[in-house]
Amino acid sequence: MDPTTSLYVAQGIHGLAYGMILFLIASGLNIIFGMMGILNLAHTAFFMLAAYFGYQVVAWTGSYWLALLIAPICTAFFGIILERFFLRRVHALGHLGELILTVGVGMVILAVVKIFWGTESLPVAVPPALMGMVNIAGLDYPVYRLFVIALALVVLGFMGLVLYKTRLGKIVRAAVSDADMVNALGINIPVVFMLVFGIGTWLAGIAGVAIAPILTVFPGLDGQVGMDAFIVVVTGGFGSLMGAFIVSLIFGFLSSYGIQFVSQLAPVLMVLFMAIVLAFKPNGLFGERES
Amino acid sequence: MNKKLQWISWAVLVSVLALYPRIFGIYYTNVFVTFAIFAVYAVSLNLLLGYTGLLSFGQAMFFGAGGYGTALALKHIQGIALMPALGIGFLAAIVLAAILSPLVVRVSGTAFAMLHLAFGQVMYVLALKLRGITGGEDGIGNFPIPNLNIPGIAAIPMKNDPVNFYYFAVVVLGLSLWIMWFFTKTPFGQLQVGVRDNAKRIDYLGYKVPQIKAVVYIFSGAFAGLAGAMFVLFQDMVSADGSLGILVSFNPIISTVVGGMGSFLGPVWGAAIFQIIEEVVQRFTERVELVVGIILILVTMFAPGGFAGWMSMLKQKIFLVRPPRLQPVATKEILEKVS
Repeated sequence: MDPTTSLYVAQGIHGLAYGMILFLIASGLNIIFGMMGILNLAHTAFFMLAAYFGYQVVAWTGSYWLALLIAPICTAFFGIILERFFLRRVHALGHLGELILTVGVGMVILAVVKIFWGTESLPVAVPPALMGMVNIAGLDYPVYRLFVIALALVVLGFMGLVLYKTRLGKIVRAAVSDADMVNALGINIPVVFMLVFGIGTWLAGIAGVAIAPILTVFPGLDGQVGMDAFIVVVTGGFGSLMGAFIVSLIFGFLSSYGIQFVSQLAPVLMVLFMAIVLAFKPNGLFGERES
Repeated sequence: MNKKLQWISWAVLVSVLALYPRIFGIYYTNVFVTFAIFAVYAVSLNLLLGYTGLLSFGQAMFFGAGGYGTALALKHIQGIALMPALGIGFLAAIVLAAILSPLVVRVSGTAFAMLHLAFGQVMYVLALKLRGITGGEDGIGNFPIPNLNIPGIAAIPMKNDPVNFYYFAVVVLGLSLWIMWFFTKTPFGQLQVGVRDNAKRIDYLGYKVPQIKAVVYIFSGAFAGLAGAMFVLFQDMVSADGSLGILVSFNPIISTVVGGMGSFLGPVWGAAIFQIIEEVVQRFTERVELVVGIILILVTMFAPGGFAGWMSMLKQKIFLVRPPRLQPVATKEILEKVS
């Protein structure tokens, strides 16, 4: 195959991998928002925290797989603490209080990360099993990116199974449409909220560990990838997983092909896309909920 | 008696402001100018947030528009005087707000906040990328700052003269605060609060809600732009991170929340508190961010009315003053409306 085509395909794979990571973060944000109406502005800080946890686990044990298992769970633990001891107390004050609180939490996480790990970029090695390229149908693909795509699909398949095939999933879906009513039916909604918040931050954690070998780990990760994830959620529509999925993929391709063709304006493309969508549909592409 | 007290406190305030540079020296004069700029900026945000119930994560774009407008004018227009340069910054922010207003007044709540986050980021990235105009990451610096010409009386040098600049800033920013205060006291200001509390009823009363929002929006953007222009004159430098960054957008929100939403002077208190905290914390540690984050968490959890709310509570408890019939601090209601 000629080099131009293979370049396009490679860029496509990059875009797909980035889109999948965006979707992992955005779906966590979306689950939390859909269920509790909280826009967790600290979400991306958790994503960055997970990348640092992943780096630390790799540094201690040398095993990327262990990091992929442990770091998201640690992140989810901190997420649960945030929900149980902080957010729950300001819930009565409405959403602005929650927004400001999560901004504060994000700032604290960023500062703490800088204290513990410093400000330089920390590299995380790709595990040996995922190094190099694989040849499929005459084209070389980087294995790690394919792995990221597969990982995201597996995690999302798993989430889908939980949401649609288990009792917990049923409760969560019911609580999204009317939490008060579910509470009145004798289900302990605060515990469900806590759990959902944990799952949301866990998803951000997976994304953080997955992106660490690609971008390295640094304090700006929060702003760089995080802003994209927020834009995905807003453009796709709050609480809509479908919207987040489609917009994530669009943004993944926009960013990778954008860098190739109009590298100067690549970062503007996404925001421009968002501005255009919101100008016509203030609730986002697939948003139904009155925000 | 009350009137007399008011006159005396005004006189004290004016004389303290007039003597401030002599008492506290150059360093604290500059600290005060920074405080005054960010106080005006925060009050302009509070016109949207506290009085109209619109949370904006992108107020920095007006601050930046004012800043870049003034900086570009000073750099490219030969021999421009000080006030016209300031006016160009002010106008730049008004034009930007006027362009955006037809779009943003139709949304509210989270969509409004997020739309501003997006536009703010567009402006920030554009300022970084359009190197030919904005100087990219380096920004624009070292432009000439002309003297303030009062025709027939004097030409007061501003460049490298912090004391003169202090008096200039106090007059301009004080006037801005007064105009904004006056604005909230007009019948239109009442409408603004009406939109916050019950937009539907205002609509039924025959007023046009989007148009009201648009006027407030442009007004708020204009004074954010003025604050930005003053900031640029003060620093003799404008940069994307310093004038358009996301932290510049969060700054007035934080001041407003800490100082007290919905109270006119709340954001001023908030800006003062933050200036003091920054001054104090910087002596001991570089982790200003950490301290600010912790303060935000504590304020939202334990003092949601902010400093102004806390003060009025104290006043009621100590002096047994009855709360005013039309309470300006209706933080809880605002919080509910915004969401």
